[in-house]
Amino acid sequence: MNSLLTISDVSKSFGDLVALEGINLEIRSGEVVGLVGSNGAGKTTLLRLMAGVYLPTTGSVSLQDGQPVDTMRQSLGVVPESTGLYSRLTAWENIRYHSRMHGVSDEDSWARTSKFAQHLEILDSLGRHTKGFSRGMRQKTALLRALAHGPSILLLDEPTAGLDITSARTVRYLVQELKKEGGTIVYSTHQLSEAEQVCDRIVIVHNGEIRADGSPESLLNSTGTTSLEEAYVSLTKDAARSRQEDDEKEGRFTGWWRSFFTPKPPKVNAKEVDDDE
Amino acid sequence: MMSKIALFRVRAIAKKELVEFVRDWRTIMAIIIIPLLMFPLLFILFPILLESEAAELDALELTIIVQSNDLNQSLEQAINGAGIAFELEPLGNHSALSEPGQDMERVRNLSVDAVLRIEHMNSTWNYAILHLSTSERSNEAWNRLLDALNQWEDEEVERRITNSGLDVNATLDPLRWDGDVSQSDVATSGEQAGMVLSLFIPLVLAIWTYSSALQPSIDMTAGERERGTLEALLCLPCTRLELLLGKWAAVATITGVGVVLQICGLLFAIGYLATSNFIGLPELSIAAILLLIGAILLFAIMIVALELALAMRSHSVKEAGSILAPMLLLIVFPALFTQVINLDGIESVWFAIPVVNILLALRELLMNRIIAEHIVIWAGTSLLYAGLAAYYASRQFGREDIVTSLS
Repeated sequence: MNSLLTISDVSKSFGDLVALEGINLEIRSGEVVGLVGSNGAGKTTLLRLMAGVYLPTTGSVSLQDGQPVDTMRQSLGVVPESTGLYSRLTAWENIRYHSRMHGVSDEDSWARTSKFAQHLEILDSLGRHTKGFSRGMRQKTALLRALAHGPSILLLDEPTAGLDITSARTVRYLVQELKKEGGTIVYSTHQLSEAEQVCDRIVIVHNGEIRADGSPESLLNSTGTTSLEEAYVSLTKDAARSRQEDDEKEGRFTGWWRSFFTPKPPKVNAKEVDDDE
Repeated sequence: MMSKIALFRVRAIAKKELVEFVRDWRTIMAIIIIPLLMFPLLFILFPILLESEAAELDALELTIIVQSNDLNQSLEQAINGAGIAFELEPLGNHSALSEPGQDMERVRNLSVDAVLRIEHMNSTWNYAILHLSTSERSNEAWNRLLDALNQWEDEEVERRITNSGLDVNATLDPLRWDGDVSQSDVATSGEQAGMVLSLFIPLVLAIWTYSSALQPSIDMTAGERERGTLEALLCLPCTRLELLLGKWAAVATITGVGVVLQICGLLFAIGYLATSNFIGLPELSIAAILLLIGAILLFAIMIVALELALAMRSHSVKEAGSILAPMLLLIVFPALFTQVINLDGIESVWFAIPVVNILLALRELLMNRIIAEHIVIWAGTSLLYAGLAAYYASRQFGREDIVTSLS
């Protein structure tokens, strides 16, 4: 299979915070790759690097022909965790806006949108403003928006997070349909079972590093475990750090000011605790 | 960042922002309707309201107490002529007539609207009016009494001059203007109108340009960031510069429409006042009009770019508001300061100071004064400031952390 996207020796830092380090990854044509990790592992940072929103501190992220990814975003379809829909626009207007930015005609965009909208059972709602949409409807609209221009790689950041069982199932069904059509998808999730169900290949990200990369079977073999959950636990024994990519570096005065107006938690008397026990 | 600018993307961004803006009736009200109505309401309805208030005061039937031991017929007639009913009481002993004494309570509780104390001392009269300045009725009584007493004093002065064998007019008015005062002003009515307008139009334009760009700037930057729509936008094949240009075009359009509507409202109000000879229409040459438009455009480029940059730098709508709202003072203070600068023989250096330069340029141009040296300085420095603001904005839009939010 051709390599569509190559990440070579990438590290990403935000000031003193090292979010990712020593990342090497190849996304090949036609495969569904699951990025699995706990909150704060670095999945979103990695996806933002793949989407060209972040530039690597060291290393490179490049597409098939060696072009840096931030200059070739036409090839990408991205569904960020927040979905990012405009509430005063209709679902179709949201989709059309992104398609126009990709330079795709409204006719072509509608042809692709209506096809996938039928799969997702959302065709009748495309003319509605997205303000009243449920989380599931928003996620489906964001998926349609990412697909409307015919991307060669689809990047999905936790696409089933917060969805009800039926909506999550529909999203997974669409991913599998796209896979059958030869689509290339990077699927970020913190649910192993979901990754196992949907992905050909699982990349376990933990504390900013790739701990494992391979098919579910190869992960079991390499760790000598009988389930993916056990394999995951054995690969991520060290304590997970907190989420870092959205941390803001606040100024010294801002930090002092905030702490000045923040009451301290009540002190626990160790002796009393011992006595209670 | 891609170096080429695709105009279709800039257009798509601007169009989407405008569509979203138009669909929110609250912002339309705040930025379009209110400015359109503000000046007509201020200049037309407010005077009508004041007139009706004055008529209401005129219709008041007021009752006062006159305390005097020497009230003569002419004084009585003067007080009656002012539309005030009064009761006469003898004047008691007071260290000074204005000392309220026992009358304080009845004036305070408004059982009488005022108390006039008046006494004849040799050839003069002493008087005082006790009143309650926080009461409209009492104030009206005070005003009517003063008018009546002044009129009586004038008549008394004339009577005494006549009794002395002098000519009243020649004695009271020995220096007189000959002819029509307005005829002697060589400025045309258009120039006079330009002078009057130059005292407040620059102020209004500056403040309104800043304030009408405020809300859309915040909404399109910090708002997008907070709502999580910016990340999806940054994943699209548009450069940060295209993003800035698209948003700038949208904010500039909204601001431009707001300012133009406000000027229309202002001109309508001035037109209304012009029919009552209060103010005329300014006489402006084509060059002055074009330079006016150019000056406003340069100012708008700078202000909108600066607001977008500062809003994009903020992590939330709240933070952006708390930074941008107080910054209005940076416009208001120079604007107020500019109003008092004398334009005759003004030093050229004033035309190089940010904000002040454009406001002075607007003042000069509204007075139809086209001075090449000043134009070169304000246009050059404004271009520089607008360029710096645009560069700063592009730096802020290029920041990697704009995708994150504190919300």
